[in-house]
Amino acid sequence: MNGVAITGIGIVAPGAVGVEAFRSMLDAPATAVAPIDRFNTEGLSAHTAALVRDFKAKDYIPAMKMRRMNTLSRYAVSATRLAIADADSRLSSASGVALGTAFGPVRTSVDYMQEYVARGAALAPPQLFAESVANAPGSHIAIEFDLRGFNITLTQRESSFLAAAMFASAQIIKGTVPSAIIGGVEEVNEMVFSVLDRLGALAHAEGELSERMRPFDRRRNGMSIGEGSAIFVAEGRPSRQPYGWLAGFGIARDTTATISDWGTGDAQVAAAMQAAIDDAEIQRSDIDAIYASANGTKRGDLLEMRAIHRLFGEHVPPVVATKGCFGEYAAGGGFQLAAALLALRDQKLHASSGFEEADPELQFTPVTAPRAADLRYILVNSISAGGGVVCAVVSREQA
Amino acid sequence: MRRSDPSTRLAITGIGIICSIGCNRTEVWRSIVESRAGIGKLTRFPGETFPTDVAAEVGEIEGLLPIDGREARRMSRSDLLAVIAAHEAVSQANDGATNPLPRERAVVSTGTSTGGLLEGESYYFDRLVHGRARVAVSRVLQQPTSGPSDAVARALNLGGGVLSNATACASGGAAIGMAADLLRSRHADVAVAGGSDALCRLTYSGFNVLQAVDDHPCMPFSAERKGITLGEGAGYLVIERWDDALARGAAILAELCGYGSTCDAHHATAPHEDGRGAEAAMRGALAEVGAGLAHVDYINAHGTGTLLNDSAETKAIIGAVGEAVPASSSKSYFGHTLGASGGIEAVISVLTLQNQLAPPTLRLDVAAADCTLDYIPHTPRPMAMTNVLSNTFGFGGSNVSLLFRRA
Repeated sequence: MNGVAITGIGIVAPGAVGVEAFRSMLDAPATAVAPIDRFNTEGLSAHTAALVRDFKAKDYIPAMKMRRMNTLSRYAVSATRLAIADADSRLSSASGVALGTAFGPVRTSVDYMQEYVARGAALAPPQLFAESVANAPGSHIAIEFDLRGFNITLTQRESSFLAAAMFASAQIIKGTVPSAIIGGVEEVNEMVFSVLDRLGALAHAEGELSERMRPFDRRRNGMSIGEGSAIFVAEGRPSRQPYGWLAGFGIARDTTATISDWGTGDAQVAAAMQAAIDDAEIQRSDIDAIYASANGTKRGDLLEMRAIHRLFGEHVPPVVATKGCFGEYAAGGGFQLAAALLALRDQKLHASSGFEEADPELQFTPVTAPRAADLRYILVNSISAGGGVVCAVVSREQA
Repeated sequence: MRRSDPSTRLAITGIGIICSIGCNRTEVWRSIVESRAGIGKLTRFPGETFPTDVAAEVGEIEGLLPIDGREARRMSRSDLLAVIAAHEAVSQANDGATNPLPRERAVVSTGTSTGGLLEGESYYFDRLVHGRARVAVSRVLQQPTSGPSDAVARALNLGGGVLSNATACASGGAAIGMAADLLRSRHADVAVAGGSDALCRLTYSGFNVLQAVDDHPCMPFSAERKGITLGEGAGYLVIERWDDALARGAAILAELCGYGSTCDAHHATAPHEDGRGAEAAMRGALAEVGAGLAHVDYINAHGTGTLLNDSAETKAIIGAVGEAVPASSSKSYFGHTLGASGGIEAVISVLTLQNQLAPPTLRLDVAAADCTLDYIPHTPRPMAMTNVLSNTFGFGGSNVSLLFRRA
């Protein structure tokens, strides 16, 4: 066995529920980043985010069970139901679950502390405490679908989802489990949003410049954040024609990164990309496209592009930045992989939403309009503030 | 994709630990030998009205930090505990070795449940009083559960990657298991793996409202057990491929043979009463070494002291390895350290093998009717041990079992 097949995708995204609705959003390309009406942004620099709307968890989860779940768990369980239906197969109970989430249940913790203050430390609701652990969504998935293999949750900032995918793929390849639910989940909340805003990490209006996430753009000034869940059915021996294969992973850390920002260690980022290519047992020249980590931050986008130039030299493959559609952190980073797999299936590159003006310092232009392409291997990057890097290679066919 | 080959032997070349019974491996082991628990009255949160007031706290840590104060001020308490323990482990791995650890290929894999929640709580309270615009956000930079791994990697300048496992109380064990796979598939050459968690209000309150906390020091497997004692701390291992450790001239403390990871798929907070997931995790750890393993000599049990866990774990142990294998709970010394427990108890397991002395279960006068194993009551027991299992289970029914072998 070489590689892990993705046979089902479930999406609960800002602006799209279900994989084909998600594909339409990417094809447009449309952005789900819009003014926030969930909480008050008065006094902050940023006022927009990609929020899940028009989604009813009760369409996917019985009411009795739904009451025991926080928003994260509802997103993840609903997306899992969609993914299993999409795969059109019944997962073995030996299957595992690996999820990634950058911030996890921050809102649930805040809700708990509000009750703690209002009622006292002895009288806060136990149900909120049970949902305040980051692995609650993974636990609900296991219970709902009777999945008794490994059940882990990884929280590595922007790399959370790919780290979970790396772990689950290793287990399938090793033969510990025959299949797994791999996914990411995130929720936009006031606490995280306001802290990121105060740090200056969020895209914001500046003079004539409107508030928008602009990956790789000369005028970029920060990210917009998103939420939702992307769930993938991963199988060692596919039960149907897969979307594509997880073929290789690479991991490294930029030792120059600061506690809350990106560094300048492009050699270490390039090493993670090369490691993923080596793990897939292909050559650099086999990479047909890169689905970038780019999130519109000054330092993050510069670091990634320098690493790409370092690795590919004069032969940089087409680079696509999709986070302008659904925001950073959305689905813990899982939407990016979903986009890359759809590109493989449809043999079509997506546009980089939010990009308008090339940045001379980056010395390149990403894909600006959807176009047909012959795609066999796509490199998917996730580069975190703080230095963590996880990269993956997805392939059209099994190697 | 390279396969994690279980036949690749893994050496543990460094251990580091800080918890309520000691700030390093020497102090901790001395407490174990002397049957001296580190459980007392909760002092961290004066003025709070919790139903119980017992905890296993770590005291002042400022003087133990291997980093400067400016750097430390930006870290959470969970981060700092992690840095102290990881630094001890890495120092030991380098001591006496011909070549130092290759830091650029060293991955940090940490399990944590609370991360920087303690600091997040303070930030939350200050926001309530002063408003969000008037409270410095620098205090919550390390609130995410990725904080401890990031802090260790930054403090020790490690470039092989960072991974943070937030699988509740199974986090530390899962982080070590994940590190084992990264080494066996050659995605990294060294792993600094373990767990770290600081006490915080939310977990202290939360376990109380679940009525899972004993109002006296916990009594695992006892007929009088009423729940857990919450603790804090960190424990880390330095793990390398066996041949790399030998080539480096490092002293090998023990072998990490395998791990099993499962889920009960039963309940959000309670274990399955038959211990089915826990049994499968132990079987999974044993399966990684195949037919080469003759027997398990001792089990460092999860042993929380709750009615449900101790009963289910006993059934799981009997199902996995039979009734004859002694098992004990070192949580009777330093409480339940949540996401750190897998790391801390892995260190205890290595020390157990090195010293050929099994830690006891303290305060165990009469075992419960549903706890029918040999739990090594009161005092450590000298035993010949080759193979030791260490169990960590968590909310959501996640179970991890690690298998260690004497070097």
